[in-house]
Order: sequence, then C-alpha cells, then structure tokens
Amino acid sequence: MFSPPSSSSGPRPPLSPILIGGLVARPLPPSLLQPALSAAMATVNRRHPGLFERLSNLDTPVFLIDPVDLGLVFVLHADAERPTLTARRTGEGCGAVATIRGPLLKLLELLEGRTDGDALFFSRDLVIEGDTGAVVALRNAVDGTEIDLLNEVAGAFGPLAGPVRGVARFGQRIFARMAEDMEILHGALVSTTQRRVEAQGVKLRDLDAKVAELGKSARRQRTPKS
Amino acid sequence: MTHKLELVCPAGTPASLHAAVDNGADAVYLGFRDETNARNFPGLNFNRKELEDGLAYAHARDCQVFLAINTFPEAGNPSPWHKAVDDAAALGVDCVILADIGLCHYAAEKHPDLRRHLSVQASASNPDSINFYVDAFDIRRVVLPRVLSVQEIAALNKQIAVETEVFVFGGLCVMAEGRCQLSSYATGESPNMNGVCSPAAHVRYVDEGDRMVSRLGDFTINAFAQNEPAGYPTLCKGRFVTEGKTEYLFEEPTSLNAAAMLPELAEAGVTALKIEGRQRGKAYVAQVVSAFRRAVDAVAEGKASPALNLENITEGQAKTSGAYDKSWR
Repeated sequence: MFSPPSSSSGPRPPLSPILIGGLVARPLPPSLLQPALSAAMATVNRRHPGLFERLSNLDTPVFLIDPVDLGLVFVLHADAERPTLTARRTGEGCGAVATIRGPLLKLLELLEGRTDGDALFFSRDLVIEGDTGAVVALRNAVDGTEIDLLNEVAGAFGPLAGPVRGVARFGQRIFARMAEDMEILHGALVSTTQRRVEAQGVKLRDLDAKVAELGKSARRQRTPKS
Repeated sequence: MTHKLELVCPAGTPASLHAAVDNGADAVYLGFRDETNARNFPGLNFNRKELEDGLAYAHARDCQVFLAINTFPEAGNPSPWHKAVDDAAALGVDCVILADIGLCHYAAEKHPDLRRHLSVQASASNPDSINFYVDAFDIRRVVLPRVLSVQEIAALNKQIAVETEVFVFGGLCVMAEGRCQLSSYATGESPNMNGVCSPAAHVRYVDEGDRMVSRLGDFTINAFAQNEPAGYPTLCKGRFVTEGKTEYLFEEPTSLNAAAMLPELAEAGVTALKIEGRQRGKAYVAQVVSAFRRAVDAVAEGKASPALNLENITEGQAKTSGAYDKSWR
C-alpha cells in the first residue's frame, strides 16, 4: 500500500472546477458514488471483455488511482472476469500494488486514450509508485481498448442514452468554460509571485555562471605550467 | 519535386494500429506479444488473432504491415522465433524485420517469398556489412543505425543496391543497437535477448518530497526536481556523479526529430522514414503520424517541411537532430 508523502514532488492539484467541487462534496460519503461506478464498470466489462486479459499474467493486481484534485481515491481490482472500482476517502489498507496519481481530467484523458501516458509522465503531470510493471501493463491494456467514456456511461441508461449524452455534452461545454475562467483567475492570482520567482531564477543563474567562472580560473591558476 | 518518402509507423496495440492507419501511415510495424521483438513490454503487442484483424484493417486501407522479429534467439531455443516467422508468412504480413543472422537464414530458406528487412538491431552501417546481408539473405531493405550523418547516408546509398529506412522521430539509444549491455548489467534482461530495455518490473519511482527518484534494479539512475521534465528510466539516460558534478554522461532525455531534414534525406536516397514508439499510446501515434504525413506530403510537393509542434509529447520535452548533423563535431 502506498500513500502520498506529506511533501510530495508529484503533481499539485490545479485550480479547477473539480477541485472546488471536490471540496464542496467532501462531507458526503464516497459510497454514494458506488452505484454509478459499479454500473460503469459493468458496462465497460460488457463492451470490452478483453480489457484486462492483457494483465492476466499478473494475478489480479489492485491499483490505487488518486486524482489529486478530487479528495477521493479509487481502488481498481483488475480481475479479468469481474473487475471492480471502489471510491474511498483514502487508499490506506487497500493492498494496492501500485499508485497512479494525477489531476482527474488528465487521468480521464488517459483512460480514453486522448493523451499519451509517457508524455504525461515526462511533463510530471502523472506520478506512479509501486509495481511499475503492473502500471505499464494496465496503461497498455486501457490504451489498447478504444474506450469512449461518455458513450459507455450513457449506454448504461438504456433508452435514455440519447438524452443523457446530450446533457453530458452540454455539461462538458459548461465545464470547459469554467475551467478556462479559473485558469485566467489562477494566472491573475499568482502573476506577481511568478514574476518575483522568475527574477530570482535569473539572479541565481547569473550567480551560478559567476561561481563556475571563478572555479575555472582557480583551476587554471593551480595547473602547473610545463 | 522529389520522390515521396514512405512513412513507417509504430503500433503497440490494435488501437494504435487503427490510429496509425487512419492518420496516414504507408506501413505499420508491430510485434507479437512475446520475447521475439524488441518492445516486449507488459500488456503490449499482438496475439495472432489481433494481427490477423490488424492486417485486414490495414490492407483494406492500402497500408502495409511489417512484423518485427528483431531480437536474438536464445541459444538452444530458436522455436519461438521460427514460429513467429512461420506465422508471419501464414498470416500474410508484408515483410518481416529481422536482426539475427540465423533467423535471416531460416526465413530465406523456409519462406523465400516473404520479404525481409534488416532491423536496426543488426547494426549494419557500412557497405560491406549491408551487402553481405543482401547477398546472403536477399534482404530488401536496411533500417540504418542512428549513427550516420545525412552525408554519410548519401555516400552509403551509392554503394549499396538495397532500400534504406531511417528513424526520424522518437526515442534514441546510445547508438550501439543490438550490442548494448547496460540493461543486462542492471537487471539481467536486455532488449537484444528478452526484447525489453529497462524492464518495467525492475523500475521503481520514489517520491522523496522535493524530488522524484528513479531506480533500475539496484541502481539509482536519476532524480528529477519538482516540475523538471522526466525521461525514460534507462541507464544511458541516467545522471552520474563525476569529478564532484552530477550530470548526464551518455545522453540527455531527449527525442529525435528530423522533420526539418526530410528534403536532405530524400536527396540522400532514403526510401522510408521510421517513427519510433511502439511502447507509446495511441494518442502519440495519432499526433506524430498525422504530423509527419503532412510533412512528407509537403516535401514531396517541393514545399518546406511545416512546423509539427510535437514538443509536448517528447521525452524530456526536448528534441535533437541526433547524428544526422553531428552538431557536436
């Protein structure tokens, strides 16, 4: 089991509607989400029965999925026959072989294959801990399956799938607008600090260059002339 | 106006194959889900049924499928490699990409009509070596190691009677392809025999508060400060302490991007361009293939290669033209 260190070098929660929503919903028990999660997993398993077959040599690994901006974690039991996804307040005691940590939207993009896992890792938006082999296998299994989350979830509503899809698309547009506004707000709030940090960075680089130059000239003076 | 370069694109999964074909690949290369290919990562690659479906999908869209069987058979156990060649012929792939001399011989003897390309893993980079493979095994195309400048490729092409394929985008090795022992040294497994460099099962990332440390086997190979772009956990891209300084010694985490050199590569007589990245996701495949499709088409029409904007998906979020211009000389 892995839990985030108190001071982590990993991704910080972005200022987003998800972060605000997560804070507002914090008093509610995670179990409220369970029926929706179970229905979504059942749909995914029915539509993509081979999804976890690529992990079949790993003996049903358990993954802790930690969206850093949500205030909840998810525990995935990657059973090839009956996979389950459970929402919890923390991952303590869940027996996960590995943790995958990042902002919720990035994790969803990864799930749908709209972004590349290695690219998220290079940019440090995604942090993994524990059994890297199991994480790579899960990433490849999910990426190899063409999952369209909106259609999967809407599909669970049977004859109401069409209207649900419409409402969800409307919600996506509102959400995107809110996220943009919050990014502008975030930029305005941190711009003064950002400028100060950048100015300090320039000074530090100058000092580094001067120290390096002093080191070189000291070495030159020490080198005996032949 | 110049001859049109063929675009050979990676596929680690059926979804990536669809992404490559849909975004304009002329050919897709892939491997079976075992140690017979050099991207034997967990959860990656194709079983026989998936390859059969992939062939149907690609061929219906006028795209070829190349099968990489480019590791070196284990001594005394060539069967998995022989079976891979036999199955490739039976399923109707457009060519097999081979590295091992014995396997080249097996394929040429058993399946003379099955087109054979020489993998970069064979590390054939001079006329004597390449002509040997052509004469002995009727190799039809050579994937050149990433050690040659464009001028050297042009000179080489004048001395050989076989197509050449060069890498234009993606991860870089220390340029001792097929011979590198760093992964074996650290983990006991290698890309050459087991099909995987720095196997994920031997990799650990540890969050140490102000930095993320990557470990391979018993070795700490890198530590990334907060927000510092990261790279693959390979020894060649590790940071080492020498003379009191911690720095990259072999190479920095960076990706090859030779898009700006497409006209020179065409002029040098290159036939095909290869994009690295069978271990990458379908989003990477779609973005890179679509960008290079635009570039190849533009260059074929005599226009300049357009800006591709691929920095967001590159290792270390940095790019290099590698050995093609040997800027370090």
